[in-house]
Amino acid sequence: MKLVSEAGVGTIAAGVAKAGAQVVLISGYDGGTGAAPRSSIHHAGLPWELGLAETHQTLIQNDLRSRVVIETDGKLMSGRDVAIACMLGAEEFGFATAPLVTMGCVMMRVCNLDTCPVGVATQNPELRKRFRGKPEYVVNFMRFIAQELREYMSKLGVRTVDELVGRTDLLEARRPAVNSRAATVDLSAILDNPYVDAPKHHFDPADVYDFRLEDTVDLKVLEKKLKSSLESGKTAKVSLEVSSTDRTLGTILGSDITRRFGQSLPDDTFTIKCTGGGGQSFGAFIPKGLTLELEGDSNDYFGKGLSGGRLIVYPPKKSTFSAKDNIIIGNVALYGATSGMAFIAGRAGERFCVRNSGAVAVVEGVGDHGCEYMTGGKAVILGPTGKNFAAGMSGGVAYVLDEHRDLYMRLNKALVSMELVTEKHDIEELRKMIEAHVAATGSDWGKEILDHFEDYLPLFKKIMPHDYDRMLRSIGQMEEKGMSREQAEIEAFYINTKGGKR
Amino acid sequence: MGKPTGFMEYARENDPAQAPLERIKHYQEFHPRLPKEERMKQAARCMECGVPFCQSGAVLNGMVSGCPLHNLVPEWNDLVYTGNFGHALERLLKTNNFPEFTGRVCPALCEAACTCGLHGEPVTVKANELGIIEEAWEHGLITPRPPKARTGKRVAVVGSGPSGLAAAAQLNSRGHLVTVFEKADRVGGLLMYGIPNMKLEKEIVLRRTELMEAEGITFRTGVDVGVDITAEELLDTFDAVVLCCGAGQPRDLKVVNRDAKGVHFAVDFLTATTKSLLNSGMKDGKFISAKGKNVVIVGGGDTGNDCVGTCIRHGCASVYQLEMMPKAPDRRAENNPWPEWPKVCKTDYGQEEAIAKFGSDPRIYETTVTELIGDKDNNLTAIKTVKLGKDMKPVEGTETVMKCDLLLIAAGFLGPRQYVPQAFGTRVNQRSNVETDAGQYATNVPKVFTAGDMHRGQSLVVWAIQEGRSAAREVDAFLMGYTNL
Repeated sequence: MKLVSEAGVGTIAAGVAKAGAQVVLISGYDGGTGAAPRSSIHHAGLPWELGLAETHQTLIQNDLRSRVVIETDGKLMSGRDVAIACMLGAEEFGFATAPLVTMGCVMMRVCNLDTCPVGVATQNPELRKRFRGKPEYVVNFMRFIAQELREYMSKLGVRTVDELVGRTDLLEARRPAVNSRAATVDLSAILDNPYVDAPKHHFDPADVYDFRLEDTVDLKVLEKKLKSSLESGKTAKVSLEVSSTDRTLGTILGSDITRRFGQSLPDDTFTIKCTGGGGQSFGAFIPKGLTLELEGDSNDYFGKGLSGGRLIVYPPKKSTFSAKDNIIIGNVALYGATSGMAFIAGRAGERFCVRNSGAVAVVEGVGDHGCEYMTGGKAVILGPTGKNFAAGMSGGVAYVLDEHRDLYMRLNKALVSMELVTEKHDIEELRKMIEAHVAATGSDWGKEILDHFEDYLPLFKKIMPHDYDRMLRSIGQMEEKGMSREQAEIEAFYINTKGGKR
Repeated sequence: MGKPTGFMEYARENDPAQAPLERIKHYQEFHPRLPKEERMKQAARCMECGVPFCQSGAVLNGMVSGCPLHNLVPEWNDLVYTGNFGHALERLLKTNNFPEFTGRVCPALCEAACTCGLHGEPVTVKANELGIIEEAWEHGLITPRPPKARTGKRVAVVGSGPSGLAAAAQLNSRGHLVTVFEKADRVGGLLMYGIPNMKLEKEIVLRRTELMEAEGITFRTGVDVGVDITAEELLDTFDAVVLCCGAGQPRDLKVVNRDAKGVHFAVDFLTATTKSLLNSGMKDGKFISAKGKNVVIVGGGDTGNDCVGTCIRHGCASVYQLEMMPKAPDRRAENNPWPEWPKVCKTDYGQEEAIAKFGSDPRIYETTVTELIGDKDNNLTAIKTVKLGKDMKPVEGTETVMKCDLLLIAAGFLGPRQYVPQAFGTRVNQRSNVETDAGQYATNVPKVFTAGDMHRGQSLVVWAIQEGRSAAREVDAFLMGYTNL
């Protein structure tokens, strides 16, 4: 768990340690921040020394220290920095700026502009020719760091890093201070560590948090019932009851499938029919070949990082309410999904499809910030959206049924355009996705739309990012010239980065 | 800043130069400036560096790289790129009192440290600086800005070179009444008489000092402090004195028959030429003429180069420069990476002109003069030279005789002339510079401060300005109890 160094970070660290974090990373404010806005560089966070000392002491105080490894980063530049970090409580150390500098980085802070003049952080082939780095330089740098750390350790009479962790008694403030301002700094809070002699003052593998994975549905039920099919890759179906305490359902099974078959299985090879209320992260990361069907509803993070699997959710068949007017899955569904499909007969909460890069989803309404930062894939929304829809959406397409013609009020128009669905290809695609939705969930609302498709079609809006549209057109033009898809994509990239079309 | 992709779109284009054979016919500057639109493109090449070395003034491997004045180079480059020349001027003047001087004569430590120069050609920072300030003069943006209030304190500045002028300008802007004493007949020190007119036209110096007068500074020329006026008088009349007398003691040659006629120090030679040029357009004949002579210049530095250019304009028969060091490489050596100051061979204007006129580089490396040969009246006719080997030791059997009837010594300066420190009783250090604590400007004598070459030894104009500004800050704090300079 990465935490920003700030006042009170120790309390947060204790919380995440209790919740099962195994590594707590305290990140200082002084890091490389190659693409960060200047305001963040100047005004966010505190030095790692402060957050680290607080975290270390708070964890010991709460008898949690040995459960977690504490890592720190944020402008560690030398073996001396590592030694000090270790004495303040860290046992792992992150480096980024310094190894990059050994590779030729000159800290231009233009990593986000594709203009890196030393060819480190750019896709421009001309600039990449300037890259002079070698892996050996990083190796050498890290050897020097280790050497310097050893030298400090031997001066202090300490043999191992574990022995050095939390030994603030070996640190003292420089006197006299380097200048009058430095003399005003009171370091007692980080140096007078009352827990120097605490018995458990560093990570101990014996105390690591027990996730009790053997009690999960995946290991207790699914893996056992599907054992033979998993070995053969033959189609299989399992039915079970679920409750909200069954978190990340299907994820371990999914990892097993990926390990055995990669993405090679046909859709619906394994179907898990669940009934009840799904817990958090229902169907997270599930791969191609796995389908989770849920009769009931589900909590937040539904289909997080969906990676090729299919997710279907609909209300209990005997329920009497109108599915399209009720929320059926929680917030942040399909966050960072990369591929696969999701059909949701009902509304989703906030942040639906955020950072989706390739999954196809049909839902009957969403909350605020829908499709934010989406970069690919498709979303069909057969109902109202919340505010700030499509903010920062740079790729993918969303079709929204805008019954009251007021979507424009809630759309974030910075990057996207809003059009009617008029092209034959688009109409066909939309209809097929709704058909698939109805087939999967039996949605009444979906059926209603299909039955009167000609009436509803004029109410649909196509939300398309400008740049994405431009890229698709360029790729299409390149493909017409006879290039492969991959070649066409690369060519289109250069056409749209070099020219002054912006 | 500038345009993020500017360095990939535009090539470096410096101010053009008149052809060598044309420009040696006159003593005027020969760099017409780029038009405004081209200047904006050149500024667009600035790269929005997260760490702009150009303004760092950092010591790297014993050499300073990047601007010692910490000129806000990326800022005003961006303002030029966007066409905001007026705003650029304000940012430029914030750190540099005299951009029209540094824009002409500075060796551009900023460009040496420019990230754009790591792979390719650096941004034309120096020409951009000059473009901003000259554009401002042309459009009347430079007007006297006298201080709104006077503090009633009086400060004497001794010496009107770049450090003295910078100190005076800063102290005056703070409201102190400043009087500048200059021993020569014209204000400007080395800016006036040390640097030849073709590098820095003297109207430019005059234009600035007249502006400073209009802002309330008094200049007293022809007053040699310590000779014409005593230290006591100054200390009685003024609340503080800043000594900015430069490093005027030239290094002499230790050679056989040093007394031969026709041997001059470079500064005397350059001074006489400029004085004659300003007084009479070279018609009064009151200068050391190189016309028709075989000239040898001892010293391969900037002053030597100025002598080459000046001799050629006089109409010399031949000119050579003796340099003790080996020729520097044409490109950065492996052990001299960016952003260090590049130790590379630089062919300056005088040498270019010599190549154009005589067909070869005037510099002779790893060579020094050992003996001067005169005729019966001991008028110089030739010199004996010898090659230098390892550890600068003469190599036997390499002695040569060169025809020479004018020998100019441009071998650097040892330190300040000593009569001023003696008059004030200020301590000097081993290098004969006026002594202060490190990074400070107050001497051992109360009320007496020092800055410039007199303080740090011979150096660049940009360092002189930096010294003058820093000393002014210290003087202000001394007078007022605090400083906001």
